[in-house]
Amino acid sequence: MDRTVYRYNLVTRLAHWVWLIAFLVLVSSGLQIFNAAPYLDASDKSSPAHRVLSIDSPSQGVGTTTVFGRTFTTTGWLGWTDDGMGSQGARAFPGWITIPSYQDLADGRRWHFFFAWVASVCWLAWLVSSALKGNLAEMILRPSDIPKLWPMQAYYLKLRKEPPPYGTYNPLQKAAYTSIGLVITPLVVLTGLALSPGIDAIAAPLTWVFGGRQFARLWHFAGMLLLIGFFVVHTFQVATHGLINQMRSMVTGWYRLGEHDGVGP
Amino acid sequence: MNRKLFLASSISSALAACSPIGTALNNNAGFHHFLGSAQGLSEAVIGTHGLAREYPESAISSVYRIDSLPTPTSTRYMDLLAGDFRGYRLIVDGAVDRKSAYTLAQLRAMPQQTQITRHDCVEGWSVIGKWSGVRLGDIVAAAQPRADARYVVFHCFDRDDQGTQYYESLDMHQAMHPQTLLGLRLNGADVDADHGAPVRLRVPTQLGYKSAKWISRIEVVGNFANIEGGHGGYWEDQGYEWYAGI
Repeated sequence: MDRTVYRYNLVTRLAHWVWLIAFLVLVSSGLQIFNAAPYLDASDKSSPAHRVLSIDSPSQGVGTTTVFGRTFTTTGWLGWTDDGMGSQGARAFPGWITIPSYQDLADGRRWHFFFAWVASVCWLAWLVSSALKGNLAEMILRPSDIPKLWPMQAYYLKLRKEPPPYGTYNPLQKAAYTSIGLVITPLVVLTGLALSPGIDAIAAPLTWVFGGRQFARLWHFAGMLLLIGFFVVHTFQVATHGLINQMRSMVTGWYRLGEHDGVGP
Repeated sequence: MNRKLFLASSISSALAACSPIGTALNNNAGFHHFLGSAQGLSEAVIGTHGLAREYPESAISSVYRIDSLPTPTSTRYMDLLAGDFRGYRLIVDGAVDRKSAYTLAQLRAMPQQTQITRHDCVEGWSVIGKWSGVRLGDIVAAAQPRADARYVVFHCFDRDDQGTQYYESLDMHQAMHPQTLLGLRLNGADVDADHGAPVRLRVPTQLGYKSAKWISRIEVVGNFANIEGGHGGYWEDQGYEWYAGI
């Protein structure tokens, strides 16, 4: 029995792919911006005593990364890297991962702020449209899903023959999509805004609640790491759970239900 | 196996394609200009409103970090410095009805404002310091700007290694902001040469490059298209946004 359902509306599909491009640009232009001050402090003003991460080049040809006071040699990867102009130099993140490839804070900011608008508008459009169409309700993790989280994980680990019954998304998908879509993404936007002196003057509690400007920079970076983590796991899951079906559904909207897939929340 | 291949190739190609495509687009003048359109949006939405946070004395950074063009070494500046700025005059001119030239003593005799605010550098770091001085708004108001006045341009003593002079600009609204200050004192002492003596602008609602050091002249203008590179500031001429609230 072929059970094909229309799962993703046009706004969701568009938002998904535009968001992917914006995400990649925001990471690479963000690392460009980070390179201008390659350290993160858990404080309001800059404070070496509260330094959580710093990427340095203590001497010619050597790159180091210090995390919570522990220093690692990271030559070639972090600290002493590709300068984006065909050779190596003192640079935190390498040129092959930044926009532009060479060090240029002004242009990195240009890209970052343009795509920050794109990503924010995109996220908002998705949120409103999926809330109106009821897709959000299928996706949100509910209290009743929590007892099903471990059984679902056990099924993935082949410790259980059958997954717990679920609707459109299984409990682990719901947990991932809810945390990324409704918690991490807005937090990354808000911590980014909190870095701006103009925003701090309008909405001081925003910067304050994250612990100040440098702390907001640390949270913004941590949020990026979580988004990258989601990106990797998400790509892995898509690749291993019916790649063609998954890709087709995010292009055309039509998804063929799997053996355990249901519909609804 | 195919799936692992798909995974590895899609993630690595997404990452690896981003920088070269982005760099190529960045070098396209039209696209570069298009990206800049977001600046107007940010300025329209955020603008310059509200007040920068003010801190207690205990929050002051032990070192007020310096990250600017080098301290001026011109004969003119060195002579002023050697004479304790007795020969200094802050010129206020341009599209105003009352041009003036303030001595440092005159500036010190005006009503002073003290603020302990955070200086946020465009690079990402922040430093907190106590600034005292004259509100820029008082100086601008005293000059009686003419109806066509839209911007206040700050001409400075410092030059880069190419000889290009530092300058900055604010619009009238930003200039009249109650915390926009002509700083004369930093952390309880007269501003020293490295921190912008004798007069350094403080704009706590915007990024640090707006807070021009070593100010020699304040010019009120209708537009800044004919000043230096035409973008309203030294860093703006090198691609940084004129609106520095974000």
